[in-house]
Amino acid sequence: MHKHLLDSYGHLDSPVHRRPAWLKVIAALATVILLVVSPPSVILFAAVALILLIVAAISRVPAVFLIKRLVLLEPFVLGVAVLTLFQPHGGVRFLVVATRSTLCLFTLVLLANTTPFSDLLDVLKRARVPSLMVTTLALMFRYLFVLKDESARMRAAHASRTFTADRRHTWHATASVLGQLFVRCGLRADRIYAAMCARGWK
Amino acid sequence: MSGSIRVDNLCYHYPDGTPALRDVSFTIDPGECVGVIGPNGAGKSTLLLHLNGLLPDQSHAQGAVHIDGERITRANLHAVRRKVGVVFQDPDDQLFCPTVFEDVAFGPRQFGLAPDRLKQTIADALAKVGLSGAERRAPHHLSGGEKRRVCLAGVLACDPGILVLDEPTSNLDPRGRREFKSLLKELPATKVIATHDLEMVVELCSRTILLDRGQVVAAGPTVKLLSDEPLMLAHGLERPHILLHRHPHPPMMDNSSFPLECATWTTTGCSNSS
Repeated sequence: MHKHLLDSYGHLDSPVHRRPAWLKVIAALATVILLVVSPPSVILFAAVALILLIVAAISRVPAVFLIKRLVLLEPFVLGVAVLTLFQPHGGVRFLVVATRSTLCLFTLVLLANTTPFSDLLDVLKRARVPSLMVTTLALMFRYLFVLKDESARMRAAHASRTFTADRRHTWHATASVLGQLFVRCGLRADRIYAAMCARGWK
Repeated sequence: MSGSIRVDNLCYHYPDGTPALRDVSFTIDPGECVGVIGPNGAGKSTLLLHLNGLLPDQSHAQGAVHIDGERITRANLHAVRRKVGVVFQDPDDQLFCPTVFEDVAFGPRQFGLAPDRLKQTIADALAKVGLSGAERRAPHHLSGGEKRRVCLAGVLACDPGILVLDEPTSNLDPRGRREFKSLLKELPATKVIATHDLEMVVELCSRTILLDRGQVVAAGPTVKLLSDEPLMLAHGLERPHILLHRHPHPPMMDNSSFPLECATWTTTGCSNSS
């Protein structure tokens, strides 16, 4: 019964959380599309940012948590945005791309933390997203937690028998933990498939 | 509603050639509860998978498994899986959906239950395992005992005549074990339980099959089989404590003359808290 880092705040109770999931998905999608297709404008970006901040405040999701999430995802955005620096007027373009993507990310982080994941899956299902994709997403969400626990156990087991701070040794051990994790995932996938078949999966 | 099982000369070897089951034959009558015991690697889990047609690789298998008199073939696989419910050893393998509701609904949905009856079926299944109202919870927030009971609920929701359980009490605390056992006791279905928990076998199963190296070594009334100490020891098992009661208990580390040290425990009467 532990709270995972991976867990979202989707189960809080706030005016934002109480809105139907489909409404939030459509709103989020509309925001992202608006941000992507509109010509760059400081006023628009500021307005969207303001709205998002108000929604975040109403949702009562801790600000620190949201910022952490954003920072975690930011390297991917910046990594791509940096490429624009090499173009003419790179500085301005960089700012536009970075702002746009950050706002999009913030929208999605908010969506994910104001809606339980299972409700999001329901919306996808009702929107006729191919069931194979929905099932894959559902399985991924479910087993992230199991895998995280499993890798934590393996790392603990490794640490309990590590008596040296030798860096090469650490790299070697990390590699074998990763390899083991991969093999175990494969075996677990077999067992999950058997369990699915046992209950009539076709 | 309970079903029967007949296994005829079942042989199976793993794709790498290692034999897993050799000429296994037995029958289980409707309503019976049968234990399958044996050391690690005896082939218990492999046998259980065969009871549900889960090892489709027929090139590695010979012999036949009959459910309710009907031989399992590729054609009737889904009908068989509806009759035979399997509770796997690791609940994390079995609970693959994001919520308890979705998970318990998985089987009934596959078997085409009408959506308007789904909610009631799931509520009933959860009530049977004592977890009413847990529909919205996520599997990773359940305790080990709760996970196990949700697994059982997911199987009961399909209303199988035969229940196959692989190590149902492993990793459970004594309370979880006790609760799970009394839960099983009340179910009318035919049960096959593979386990190392020999006390449970004595409590639940009228008949037991002893498996070692993929072969049936012995089969018969549970108390008679599990009381045969030389046989049990020869196959990596032991005579369970519950069957030793008529004899003096073995010497134990008895330090009762020392006082108990308890800090804040008062409800159950540890007397010398200081």
